[in-house]
Parts: sequence; structure tokens; C-alpha cells
Amino acid sequence: MAIFIILGIPLLLAIGALFVRRERLFGIINCFGYFLVLCASAAIFKETAFAGHIKAFSNFIYLDLLSAVFITVISVVAFAAALYSIGYIRKDIEQKIISERKARFYYLLFNLFCFSMFCVPAVNNLGLLWVAIEMTTLISAFLVGFYNSKESVEAAWKYIIICSVGIIFALLGTILFSYAFSISGLSKSLNWSDMVPVAHILDKNILRIAFIFILVGYGTKAGLAPMHTWLPDAHSQAVAPISALLSGVLLKTAIYAILRFGIIIIKSGELAYFTHLMILFGVISLVISSGFILVQKDLKRLLAYSSIEHIGIISIGFGLGSPLAIAGAILHVFNHAVAKSLMFFGAGNIVRVYKKHNMNAIRGVIKALPFTGIMALLGVFALTGFAPFSIFISEMMIIMAAFTNGSYLIAALLLLCLGVIFGAFIFHFGKMLFGNLPKGMTVIGEPLSGKLAFLFLFFLICGVGIVLVFKNKDLLWLAQRLLQG
Amino acid sequence: MQGIILFALLASTYLMVIAKRTPALIRSFRYQSLCLFAITFIIALTQREPDLYIVAGLLFTLKVSLIPYLLYRIIRKIKVNEDLGLFINPQLSLFWALVFTYLSWIFASYLVSANNAILTGTLAIAFFVVLAGMFLMIFRMTALAQIIGLLVMENGLFLFASTVSGGMPFFVEIAIFFDVFVSVLIMGFFVYRINKLFTHIDVNKLSRLKG
Repeated sequence: MAIFIILGIPLLLAIGALFVRRERLFGIINCFGYFLVLCASAAIFKETAFAGHIKAFSNFIYLDLLSAVFITVISVVAFAAALYSIGYIRKDIEQKIISERKARFYYLLFNLFCFSMFCVPAVNNLGLLWVAIEMTTLISAFLVGFYNSKESVEAAWKYIIICSVGIIFALLGTILFSYAFSISGLSKSLNWSDMVPVAHILDKNILRIAFIFILVGYGTKAGLAPMHTWLPDAHSQAVAPISALLSGVLLKTAIYAILRFGIIIIKSGELAYFTHLMILFGVISLVISSGFILVQKDLKRLLAYSSIEHIGIISIGFGLGSPLAIAGAILHVFNHAVAKSLMFFGAGNIVRVYKKHNMNAIRGVIKALPFTGIMALLGVFALTGFAPFSIFISEMMIIMAAFTNGSYLIAALLLLCLGVIFGAFIFHFGKMLFGNLPKGMTVIGEPLSGKLAFLFLFFLICGVGIVLVFKNKDLLWLAQRLLQG
Repeated sequence: MQGIILFALLASTYLMVIAKRTPALIRSFRYQSLCLFAITFIIALTQREPDLYIVAGLLFTLKVSLIPYLLYRIIRKIKVNEDLGLFINPQLSLFWALVFTYLSWIFASYLVSANNAILTGTLAIAFFVVLAGMFLMIFRMTALAQIIGLLVMENGLFLFASTVSGGMPFFVEIAIFFDVFVSVLIMGFFVYRINKLFTHIDVNKLSRLKG
């Protein structure tokens, strides 16, 4: 039942955005809507964790623990983004960057975007999964090109073209999966729940080829290097709350799609194949992104490259495949979504005040924006994996799993890249956050809704980090159930 | 009969690879979609499935009529140079197209285990069409050519799906059609915007974002 709330509320809000004329009022309604969605997703999480899978709508919707985890992550970030949007869009209107009408358009797209993302983990049919992911691209392209400047339109075009090509390959992979299914003498179906039980009798050669296409296709959308070239452009040009959604959850929905196919591959007895490919792409992403992070000048692009790095870590975690690694990876999906959203909100506030992206020209953020500055400082420590915060724990779990699996080289590479990235982040943000206030700038007040969004996310970062130290057995239990389907 | 149509489809794809101007590219795309429609219609006739008639009808309305019409309209409206801006000249493009055809044949015979020449041939052509679309997207400079390249890839996939697995489930097929149509609309909208902001649609010159 809760799934109808989750899918229904964004649609209702999208319709509402067309009719409610006062955007400030609508922003608050929007926020309440996503609070309800958050509660519903918690209910689904609880139900699937104890009762197994849920089917609804004559097999159209299929939810298991894996989908519940991703739905929860999406709803957390969507709620935070809705909260942050109230103040952010208000400021945009006050500064005459956008009109009232365009603000309504923004809320319409925001809700449609969230709806399409919620569809991804909810649908059972792998063809509809593809359609949902393509819909996320098409809708968010408008949000990337929202400000209609030369840069943003260029970014939107690259985004839509590269992701569409990538996703065409994913469709090819999906068709090959259904081909493998049909030549084994079973009736025509693309339902995931029909495929998994018979995975062991499917033709392994075709599955292997198909998975390559899936990985390249959805990997483009997930931002795995070397298909990541659209990502820094799109993330740096989008509206700040949307950057958080893009980086925090859109990439994860593509990871989710890869995992769905990956489970079929694992069940067909090709675990080693899955492991090698995931680790290969993960390591490439990690190494490439750490190089770009080191030399980056643009604030939002820095955060975008950091997303590629974290997607690499997640992919390595799922690739390692032991329960500890999977627990770490799934936790990392959540932690990265929360911490990266916090950082993008911070970057949004900073860019608004300083009116530039170039980190060399930004100084004294803590003095100009005390609240955002301190949150960004804590966020940097959280994002790079400092001790009391949650990312530290998930990264630690993945590295430990790599050591216990005997993949010393991967563990060493992970540690090296994390070290480099930590240094680079402290260097870049240290220069920006501290230092003297530029001339002609005063301390600037921040809207309450923005502050609440920061506090909500920060509470999750700290809370999860501290609670999980005592609850690690439950987490391992969840991870073991996760990939069973 | 089916063999002849498949051959026509292959020929129309070669025409697209050597086309120098955008209208010629759109025209060949229309021929290609028409061939695809004919194949689907013949399958529908032989198998007597009502779903396939609907799919064929959608193929005709969307890919043969509506989408080419929209693309022509964009050309008329934005009034830019109609040259495609080739990175690789037609002769060399044709050479590469032949190489791709051979590679797709190898891929198809790897995929089909039984000795089934018609299925292998269809698969090879379908895969070649996907590769040709990719080629158009990479080696032609205008934004419009990229849209058409994407559509060509999608056509190849459609052929692929209808031969190897007897088509996708019906509602998935409909959803994909809807999706393709919406994506053409949205991309067309962005072409307008690019033309307005940059006064050209040469994607090779879109290079403000780096690093």
C-alpha cells in the first residue's frame, strides 16, 4: 500500500504545481508531501526487511529489500532537496534570476523527476526499468539547462546525448537477456521475478555478452569512468537542489539497474565474471577521478568528480561480493547520497553569494556565511571519510572486505586514492573556507528552510555513523538477505 | 520477400552513411523506417497477432510520418547551413560501413548457435544498423545528425528485438515508442535553444565546459 503513496504523491504534487500560484506556499506543501513519502518508504523498508518481497498491481510492481533500500535513499534526498528548494527558489526570484512562472515550472519538473526515479526501483519488468531510467534523463535535462545560459544548455545537450546513447546499449543488453530467456524454451517475459528462479539454465555465453552491454549502458548513467564525461558538466550546471538529486540518487538508480542484472548473472553461476567487471570499472573510476580532483578549479565540478570517485568505491564494494563488502557498499550508497547532498547545498549557497564557481576566487566563506561555512567544513570531513562520520565506516568495511578476500592490490589502491583525495579536498576547501572576507561583502543571513535541510542531513551523517558501530550484526544480516532476491 | 526488404533496409543505411546534407539523411531515415514497418507488417500478417498490427501502425505514424516531419520542420525553422559537416568523407565512411557489416556478421554468427542463415543475416543487419547510428553520432558535427543517429540506433534495436526474441512484451514496446517520441521532442527543443544561443548547431564547437 505504501508504494502507492510513494508513487502517487509526486504525481499529485506535479499536478499541483500547475495550479498553485504562490510558489512559496507550494514549496511548503511540496516539502510536506516528501515528508509523507519518507515515512512511507520507511514502512516499506521495514516490511521488506522482515517479510520478504511484495508484489502489487498484478506483478507490475515488485519490491524486495534491495528496492526498499534504494527507495529510502531517494526519499531521504528528495525530502532534503524539497526543504532546501523553498529558500533557494525564493532567493532566485528575489534576485530576478527566474520569474514566478518559471518557479512553478521548476516544481513541476522536480516532482516529475522524483516520480521517474521512484519508478526505477519499483517496477518488476526490465523493459519498463529501462523506460523509467530514460525518463529520468529526459526530465532532468530540462533541470540541467534550467538557467538557459550557454554553459547550461551545452551541458544539457551533452547530458541528454551521451546518456541516451549509453542507454541504447543497455536496451540492447536487456533484449539479449530476454533472448537468453526465450531460447531456453520458456514463455516470453521480461519480469525480473520470472527470470531469477531460472537463471541457472540460461545460456551463459549470451548472458556474458548481455551483461557487458548492461554495464556499459547503465554504467554511463551511473557515471563510471571512462563513460563519465557528461557528469561534471551536468552536475556543475544544474540548479543546486537538483545537483544534489543528480549526484546523490540519480547515479544510484543506475547502479540499482546494474545490480538487478548482476543478480541474474550471479545466480547463473558467473560470480567471478561479475566481480572482475565491477572491480575493473570501479578502479578505473577511482583513479581517473582522483587525478581530476587534485587539479580541479571549479567548486561544483570538484564535487561532481568526487561523485565519480564514490560510485567507483560502491562498484568495488559490490564487486568484492562478500557480505561485509556488500553491507559496506549499500551503506555507502546511503552515506554518499546524504553527504554529497549536504555539500551540493553548501556549494549552492556559496556560489549564490560569491557569484562564481572558481575556487581560487572564493575566500572567507566561514565569515560571510557562518552556518553554511561550518556545515561545509564538517561535510568535507564526512565526505572524505573522517572518523566519527558514516562514510568512514562504510569505506572501512569495504577495505576490510578487500583484505579478507585477499585482494591486497585493490585495498592498497583504495587507500592510496582515498589519501590523495582527502589531501586535495582539505587543500581546496581550506583555502576557500578560511581567510579574510573579500572587500564589500558582509555577513549574510540564511533562510530557515535551508538551515533545516543542512541539519537534517547532518543528523543522518552523524547518527548513522555512531549507531552502526553498535548495530553491525544487523547490517550484515541485511546484506546477506539483500542479494537473494 | 522478407529478404528483399531487409536488403532495402541495408541499402538505406548505406545511403545514410554517405549522405552529405541533412535533408538527404532524413529522407534515408524515412526509407529505413518504411522498411522496418514493412517487415513488422509482414510478420503481423503471418502470425495473425493483433498486437503486432498496433506496433506496425505506431511505427508508421511515428517513425515514417511524424518524426521525419518534425525534423524537416526544425531545419526550415532554424535556417542554418544544411551541410552535415563530415569528419570523415563519404568514401571512407562507406569503407568503415562495410567493415562494420562484416563485424556484425561475425557477432551474429557467434550469437546464433544453430545453422540458421536467415536469422543470422537479420541479426547481422540489425547490429550493423546500431553501429551505423553510432557512427553517425560520432562523426557528424551537427546536433540534428546526432538526433538522427540516435533514432537509427533505435531502429536497429527494434529490428534486433523483433527477430531474436519475437519482440518485447506489448506494453514495453508501447512505452519505448512513447519514450523515443518524447526524446525527439525534447532534443528538438534543445536544438532550437542551441541555435538561439550560439547561432549554429555545430556540436563540435560546444566546448565551453572543460576539465
